[in-house]
Amino acid sequence: MSDPIAVDPHRTRDRLLVVAGAILIAATYSYLILSQPAEIAASGTSRAGLIAMAGYLVGAVLIAAGSVRQIPTAVIAMIPVAIALNIVAGQIVSTLSLTVYLDSIGTVLVSVLAGPAAGVVTGILSNVIWGLTLTPIPLPFAVVQVVIAVLAGLAARAGVFRHVYLPPLAGVLTGFVTAMVSAPIAAFVFGGATGGSAGAIVGAFQAMGRSLLEATTLQGLLYDPLDKAITFTVVGILIAALPARFLQRFPFARTYRVFGKGPLTRTPTTSAG
Amino acid sequence: MIELADVCYAYPGAERFVLEHADLRVEPGTIAGVVGASGAGKTTLAKILSGFIPHVDGGELSGSVVIAGRDLAGLSLSACVRQVGLVIQNPFNQISGARYTVRGELAFGLENLGTAREEMADRVTQVADLLGITQLLDRSPYELSGGQQQLVAIASMLVLRPPVLVLDEPTSQLDPAGTRMVFGVLSQLRESGCTIVIFEHKLELLHAHADRLHVLAGQRIVASGQPGEVLADPRTDEWGVGATRYTRTGRLARDRGLGPVAVPLPVSFDEAVGFFGGGPR
Amino acid sequence: MAPALFVDTGSPVHRLNPVTKLVALLSILVIVFALPQWWTSAIVVVAILVPAAIVARRARALAGIGGRILLPIVLVLVLVQGFTFPGGRTVVWQWGALSLTAEGLTFALNTGARIVALVLASVLLVVTTHPGDLMSALTEHGLSPKFSYIISSTLQLIPSFRTRADGILLAQQARGLAIPRSPLRRVRVMLPLLGPLVLGMFTDVEERGTAMEARGFGSTVRRTALEAVPDSPGQRLARWLMAALAAAAVVVPLVQELL
Repeated sequence: MSDPIAVDPHRTRDRLLVVAGAILIAATYSYLILSQPAEIAASGTSRAGLIAMAGYLVGAVLIAAGSVRQIPTAVIAMIPVAIALNIVAGQIVSTLSLTVYLDSIGTVLVSVLAGPAAGVVTGILSNVIWGLTLTPIPLPFAVVQVVIAVLAGLAARAGVFRHVYLPPLAGVLTGFVTAMVSAPIAAFVFGGATGGSAGAIVGAFQAMGRSLLEATTLQGLLYDPLDKAITFTVVGILIAALPARFLQRFPFARTYRVFGKGPLTRTPTTSAG
Repeated sequence: MIELADVCYAYPGAERFVLEHADLRVEPGTIAGVVGASGAGKTTLAKILSGFIPHVDGGELSGSVVIAGRDLAGLSLSACVRQVGLVIQNPFNQISGARYTVRGELAFGLENLGTAREEMADRVTQVADLLGITQLLDRSPYELSGGQQQLVAIASMLVLRPPVLVLDEPTSQLDPAGTRMVFGVLSQLRESGCTIVIFEHKLELLHAHADRLHVLAGQRIVASGQPGEVLADPRTDEWGVGATRYTRTGRLARDRGLGPVAVPLPVSFDEAVGFFGGGPR
Repeated sequence: MAPALFVDTGSPVHRLNPVTKLVALLSILVIVFALPQWWTSAIVVVAILVPAAIVARRARALAGIGGRILLPIVLVLVLVQGFTFPGGRTVVWQWGALSLTAEGLTFALNTGARIVALVLASVLLVVTTHPGDLMSALTEHGLSPKFSYIISSTLQLIPSFRTRADGILLAQQARGLAIPRSPLRRVRVMLPLLGPLVLGMFTDVEERGTAMEARGFGSTVRRTALEAVPDSPGQRLARWLMAALAAAAVVVPLVQELL
């Protein structure tokens, strides 16, 4: 789909950006877990909050910057539709006071069709657009969308979407990871108060003697796996409903035989023959 | 000049060819009309002429597509795009959404190609004037009617001044006055040397404005010639092209034993006047 | 369609270069975390955000939007941390098994003040800055035009997405089908109708991509802009000063600790 004549001179730089971003995110999480800031001193959590926000945000920005150049125009054109899907679905679901968010259907769909790089851009910009139109609260959680996009892309490469029963399982696994990664933001930036029912659960775990970070992690583990299982399942259904010709347009889907349909190349027959 | 020779094409993963051994020749500075039933492969042919096939859509393309002496297969997509401007069928999808006003929307392509600011402003004003959309310049492209969006879509391509222009049903959303205006603008462009290929259903307008007409049917170009000759061909129904209302009226009259027998069926209003001997009194 | 949050009053705050406002937002973010006491945030709100909102003639919008976002969060924060903060020792009020602690309330106050400052600062940026101008300004500063395209296009797509969905619902009503009041049931009614809408939008993408490419979106030449984003040496200086201030807010306490 990309321009076959032009050779991209920035490829190495892009890779380095992505790797640096991933290392930064991993390092941020590890530091926050290992240092376990003393929660009695308010300065401890605020510094942890700054580190969490800065590390995740800069990491996400690096990954997005390293991803965007390799995305062909045909995929770029799909991303606004995917973001609109994230936001409209997320908004409808948020009015239902359920314990699911469903705000990453578009991210997963793009990752599965066009690869994790496009998914990462979809995810991060979804949260930016939440910030521009509704509320800035999801912005610090942009890194979660990065994790979803990368894991969904890996799952697609592994052939998860060739089967009906595997997407929910991949969703559950993704949910475990996003719960861990998002916990420091929920704890140190928002003090556990990310929503009514989530806040109540954090409070319950704290009352049982858990620390703030443990409480937000446990709350995430209660919510995220279910949410991501539903999201991945919905994406599986959407893919089944999309026309095969549309799915075949994506080099990522073709190269990794994401949908496992048909041989890689097929010789067309003439109508005369 | 545009020259397609022995072009066959199938979409990726498809089991059938959309085009088989298609040939098409368009002289520089002329308007070529292409007609055909829906599903005959008009949009596919438009994409082949503008290099989107195979550069974007992939699939299996054989034969040669030569525009101004260069084979599109050997050019990069951005080089193809500078050579050939493509106006797609659905104006809503042609609007990029990258800018919030019609003015910005018209400038979008020029910005991408790195045009200097003053020239950009000049060209936008000029093209808006040409298509009569000056009063829309500060409005949002999404708040316009379908017809207005279509004019913006056409203008957003004309502003780039491509040497070759391919238009896929550019007047589908327009009222008769708007349609006549667009065809008038295209005729004006032809005078300035632009080569135009237009995929269209409006046979009377094609007859009035196109230099040659090509019929796409059965995966290939089955007929090419003067619009009058092609539209008078008895096989137009078989090709799924239909006929102008004058031809249909003439045919109906002849079936009922009216009208002259030796004269070919009329295609245009003028010919119909001649055919029916001076017209109604 | 222009996004609903932005209203142009032509004020000096509106006319600032969007990058200046963005740097201000990021500096505020760093400062309220680096100096964690609640009064840092209070000073930011009272001395910077509220006056700026008044000058921008968007104070009511800021209060309305900010209040709607913040009220539930702050309420949950005070209740949850006031009663269950793990470091809570000093009980100020007891009700059965629940005890409100001073430490919990202090934590909620400090954290809540930061959230208030950050939300109000972000909302102020959004209500005084047209997203198109923000994107143009960032593109001038090296942001990939692909990001800028995606954001602008999405902002205009969402309203048309909603219009189409509403159209489907209205058509349903016109055919005499009741739209349930309960949101959950409404979703159940809407899902089979919205499915084709979503799929249609994804298949439209093919044409949208073609149209963009036809207008040189994939071109690698240096892009130009129809309209320049106004900037001034004063704003450039202000941006550096704000960044320096934020850096100082991080570094100075660290140095003090080490000494």
